[in-house]
Amino acid sequence: MMRSKSLSSKIADVVLIIILVSIAITCILPLWYTLSLSLSSKSAAAAGAVALWPVEFNFSSYQQLLQDGQFFKSFWISVQRVVFGAGLNFIIVPLMAYPLSKTVKDFKGRNVLMWTLIFTMLFNGGLIPLYLTVKGYGLMNSIWALVLVGGAQTIVFNIILTINFFRNLPKSLEEAALVDGAGPWYILFKVFIPLSIPVLATVSLFSIVYHWNEFLYGLIFMTREEFYPLQTYIQQLVVSVDPSTMTEDQYKRMSELSNRTLDAAKIFIAMIPVLVVYPFLQKYFIHGITLGSVKE
Amino acid sequence: MRSKGFAKHYYLMLLPGFIWLFLFSIVPMFGIIIAFQNFNPGKGVFGSEFIGLETFQYMFQLSDTMNVFFNTIYIAVMKIIGNLIVPLVFALMLNEVRYMGLKRSIQTIVYLPHFLSWVILGGVLLDIFAFQGPINQLLEFFGVEPILFFGRADLFPFLVVGSDVWKEFGFNTIIYLAALTGINPALYEAAGIDGASRLRMLWHVTLPGIRTTAVLLAVLSLGNVLNAGFDQIFNLYNPLVYSTGDIIDTWVYRAGLLNLQYELATAVGLLKSVAGFILISLSYYLAYKFTNYRIF
Amino acid sequence: MKKAVFRIFVMMLFILLIACSEEEPSSSEEENQNEEASPKTDEPADPFGKYEDPVTIAIGQEVDPSDTSLPEGDTPLDNQYTRHVKENLNIEVEHAFTASPSNYDQKVSLAIASNDLPDAMIVGPVELRQMYEADQLADLTNVYENYASPAIKRIIDSTDGIAKDTVTFDGKMMAIPNVQLQADGVHLLWIRQDWLDNLGLDVPKTVEEIEEVARAFVEQDPDGNGEDDTIGLAGPDTSSKLYANFLESTNNLYGFDGIFSAYQSYPGYWIENDEGEPVYGSILPETKEALAKLREMYADGLIDREMGVREDSGESVVSGKTGMFFGPWWMPYGPITDAVTEDPDANWQAYASPLDDNGEYSPHMSSPSNNFVVVRKGYEHPEAAMKMLNNLLDNESTFDPSLGGPGFYPLRLVFAPSDETEYSVKALREVLAGTKTPEDFEDKPEYKLLVSDAETIKDVKLEPYDDYNIEHWDMEADKGHWTRAYALMVGGSPLVDNEVKGQYSLLYSQTETMEDRWVNLKKLEDETFLKIIMGTEPLDTFDRFVEDWKKQGGDQITQEVAEVAEP
Repeated sequence: MMRSKSLSSKIADVVLIIILVSIAITCILPLWYTLSLSLSSKSAAAAGAVALWPVEFNFSSYQQLLQDGQFFKSFWISVQRVVFGAGLNFIIVPLMAYPLSKTVKDFKGRNVLMWTLIFTMLFNGGLIPLYLTVKGYGLMNSIWALVLVGGAQTIVFNIILTINFFRNLPKSLEEAALVDGAGPWYILFKVFIPLSIPVLATVSLFSIVYHWNEFLYGLIFMTREEFYPLQTYIQQLVVSVDPSTMTEDQYKRMSELSNRTLDAAKIFIAMIPVLVVYPFLQKYFIHGITLGSVKE
Repeated sequence: MRSKGFAKHYYLMLLPGFIWLFLFSIVPMFGIIIAFQNFNPGKGVFGSEFIGLETFQYMFQLSDTMNVFFNTIYIAVMKIIGNLIVPLVFALMLNEVRYMGLKRSIQTIVYLPHFLSWVILGGVLLDIFAFQGPINQLLEFFGVEPILFFGRADLFPFLVVGSDVWKEFGFNTIIYLAALTGINPALYEAAGIDGASRLRMLWHVTLPGIRTTAVLLAVLSLGNVLNAGFDQIFNLYNPLVYSTGDIIDTWVYRAGLLNLQYELATAVGLLKSVAGFILISLSYYLAYKFTNYRIF
Repeated sequence: MKKAVFRIFVMMLFILLIACSEEEPSSSEEENQNEEASPKTDEPADPFGKYEDPVTIAIGQEVDPSDTSLPEGDTPLDNQYTRHVKENLNIEVEHAFTASPSNYDQKVSLAIASNDLPDAMIVGPVELRQMYEADQLADLTNVYENYASPAIKRIIDSTDGIAKDTVTFDGKMMAIPNVQLQADGVHLLWIRQDWLDNLGLDVPKTVEEIEEVARAFVEQDPDGNGEDDTIGLAGPDTSSKLYANFLESTNNLYGFDGIFSAYQSYPGYWIENDEGEPVYGSILPETKEALAKLREMYADGLIDREMGVREDSGESVVSGKTGMFFGPWWMPYGPITDAVTEDPDANWQAYASPLDDNGEYSPHMSSPSNNFVVVRKGYEHPEAAMKMLNNLLDNESTFDPSLGGPGFYPLRLVFAPSDETEYSVKALREVLAGTKTPEDFEDKPEYKLLVSDAETIKDVKLEPYDDYNIEHWDMEADKGHWTRAYALMVGGSPLVDNEVKGQYSLLYSQTETMEDRWVNLKKLEDETFLKIIMGTEPLDTFDRFVEDWKKQGGDQITQEVAEVAEP
């Protein structure tokens, strides 16, 4: 580096760092706020007195959380969903991306199939036919409804990304393999996939984040709370209810049961897994996400 | 060509994925028929009476439809622009930081929000922007009247765009950072020898180096013009801001699932799909024309 | 490309064929069930009869995930109540689905739309009509005649046929209606009496006086904490409405119902105009007048600035920031108990106020029924649902709520004599005055809680017995009893002591065109009114709203209402 280190440049550095650090701070704020809320007393939280620091610090919401069997059940369902969903995504994406990264010259049906994929990505029949279909397959209350329906809606984008990556792998590699008499499966598994770990890590990460955070399908395809994935479980806690058809004692129960600190504790715990996973994948996806055209 | 007999293997590779998509994306599309029916749930999709385009007539008569389409495009376009420019600026700023440890920490922290679901972030944002929340307390400190942020229809789209850009900029920064590392350091050295200032280097070396990335990202995001973010708005909006914040997806969800207006919900959804398909095709050809690059 | 499009088209056709053939079996299955479902008339009808062979009923049920009242080992399907049902009736309850209160409506919609129905569930008036139109409901006319217990029949008949009317379509009874308290539909003015006293003000009787009091509450620091942090009049939160309407006519917390009725404006209600024709209250000039006043009050900062955005307007009642709000008699079951716990001097009192131009109290009145038990067409034992209702009404008081509360009683409908609140107030006054004893009410089993109320009232009410101000109560003695007694005596008294010239809606259910159009009309109305009040649109937007409303289906619906409402 041959950059000059004048005084003005140093001032610019300081200003720059201050700006960047304050932006970074806003990004941890939600996490921090949720944590303070979860560690505050119930009455302080209900009165909205908690801002950036716990009020009347205590751990009781976490103690309560430990006794909530459903929370951990849902947590486990989400973990399974992520494992199956991302796993399936990891297998299917390269299998589809490889043939589709060929030109029409090499693979005649390629364009029709590609546009069919785009079509499935954009068109849908609405929730109710989807519900009927899943029910027809006997997948209600099954984790596979979440894995397969959600996955089908996000996989096309991942395929497109991977196609772009494949296309920009050096042509010479494939040609060399062809000369050695390698077949398509060999080329895919022994040449392309080992070189594509960055992009596969990236699409896996997309898949993990999607499956972990999606809440609506849990609500639609699961008939009972015991089958809910974590985000669905949390969503039902944070939505407010119209009291117009309640009786007085129902209303009373409802307000007695509301517990913002416990909700915050659940939300905080729900944030943790993705936070644990992403630094590990980081080094891969930084390369994987760049579209091939950038590097030659 | 040695790869002549490969086509049948290619089909074989595509088969599992296509079966999956067929079962979970294409089969449920039978529901599109509902848009042309007077749908009677008791008789089902295949027993209900066909009424032709009546629902579409009503749809275009409704002032809501235009409004909802407008909101969607307005919010989505602003998001696209914000998500292109902010990460770029941030990446350029971060690129100027010379303490590697700090640079990496900031980078890791700022894409944390990307991993959190809107179910979770929605609640936190509503709290932070509440009438007596931290932001308003800050404003009050500077002598500004507190603002009812999420109750103001005129502010809502900006809050949505702002929070989305804030959530995603860290992640999008990665793309640019990767492009930046791809720039040949020799170019900087040469510019340095010529006595170019940091700003001039930015203008003449850095920006041209990442131009292709920026253009491609812009084109790719065109497909998102009709996706203004269901999860986000669903978790943030309220009737006060329907006029500017209600988007196609939230509207369809309410109409189809909460208000039992299946035909209308399906019709609007179909219109969205068609428009989305046109836009995607458009961006495909634009990308091909201007960058000579096929995005899929 | 052309070829590609053609191939996709062929593929679509193929898919359709598959989808068609897939649907077939389910529909034929249904027909079979329909045949089986013909009512068996050979058994004698016994409302409480126990089945010889176990009968299962798969229901959709609301289950609150945060309700932890079940003892260890019990589940929503296996608890004191379901065991009681099994033992007494030999009915086994199963779940077709459960959902939290916030998601129950969505699950019901999904079940209706996909025709994937539970054997029985609880629905609202809109879903009831939708299900009837879709021919999804069992005709319960005979079930009701033969199996409803005398107690339930007595309560349903006490509504002068209104409850029955709401579930009768083409002369057939398609659901069992609940009967709720008349008092739940009257939205009283609740006010901090201690603040009034601090500032030397009288109880407001008109809208103008409410305005003055609100101004004083906002500007004169009624709680004396030296801070400018008080709210004059609370406004609706995200789960409540500006005003109750004909479909949801009860329990609108923190709305402006009282203000509207003082202008003899009944938005959301179908009323008769001077010519005796049905009109929709929201489009009348009186409503514009009321809106103008609310707009003025909001602009002056007298109404909660955060109305419509708050998650729960009750929070600021609890924290002692709010001076007035509109709500039903039972608000002590809501935030008031907590408010008094926080601040023992918070003297919340209720009044039948404001009065209209004629000096009368003329609130809108509610439908006696807003929840309905429906049974799926084709279910073999439609009477099982009725038997469960009979059994529950008879035995509910024997269950200990701490061992699994009412949230775990499947198919629970409320059957309360519609005058329960008013009747209880009068009875308790006599008990307090010593002219009656708790035993005198033992022959009134419909008033389920009355005997217990009478026995415990003196534990929590201090002398003088006819003064309901907060210093004459002892909350510490028993918070549960305190809540009920305070709600009855403070919240119920205005209904007894004032002549209530209530306005009923001409109907409390949907007409045909409403099925398609109502949601959008209602959205238009809600948005316009909110914006007018909050000042983001000029008042005269109201006139455009009236035109739009008529054009977008309102006129047609008004005609339908005229036909339905004509006896």
